[in-house]
Amino acid sequence: MNCSSMIICRCEEVTLVQLEAAYEAGCRTSRQLKMKTRAAMGACQGRVCKQLLETWIIAKNPASPRDPELLPYRPPVRPVTFGQLAKGDV
Amino acid sequence: MERITFHPILGPQRIEREPVSFTFNGRKLTGLQGEPIAAALLASGIRTLRRHEESGTARALYCAIGHCMECRLNVEGRGKVRSCLTPLEEGMRITEGQQLPNEITGRKLQ
Repeated sequence: MNCSSMIICRCEEVTLVQLEAAYEAGCRTSRQLKMKTRAAMGACQGRVCKQLLETWIIAKNPASPRDPELLPYRPPVRPVTFGQLAKGDV
Repeated sequence: MERITFHPILGPQRIEREPVSFTFNGRKLTGLQGEPIAAALLASGIRTLRRHEESGTARALYCAIGHCMECRLNVEGRGKVRSCLTPLEEGMRITEGQQLPNEITGRKLQ
């Protein structure tokens, strides 16, 4: 399989090669990978790639911290418009 | 128009919904009332739902449960909606998401 084109984060189009490069540049936790590559920062907010990122960094570096707060889910958990919020229609 | 009329496990599928017309990027299409927009487009043979805002690569239906936001489309009067969750209605005017200009990288659109 050609890893250079393997996309980890679809929203921000982050490939496995970019993760490798970020790791080489010194990123050692899932949060550092996110800050470096924008993986998990797109429209789905990591719903698709969060587990992949965490699994990848743990496989790469077993000493990496496993704190779930590194890539937390934050409210609003579901996408809502300001109109829905104003009407209480959520 | 392609739909599953006979399912190997569920058996023959009856279509009980009313046909409605809508437009996608100005093209007139027909779907079934209340089915997800993505299903109506898929039945019309449209698989590319939007372009990535940054790179312009094609995007389509992916998770189909409202999780991944990959199928978001513009519906006139509603803004951006997830086409896998939004029921189709008569006269909907739908346009796909486009690649956007980027002032930071200097990318302009043709």
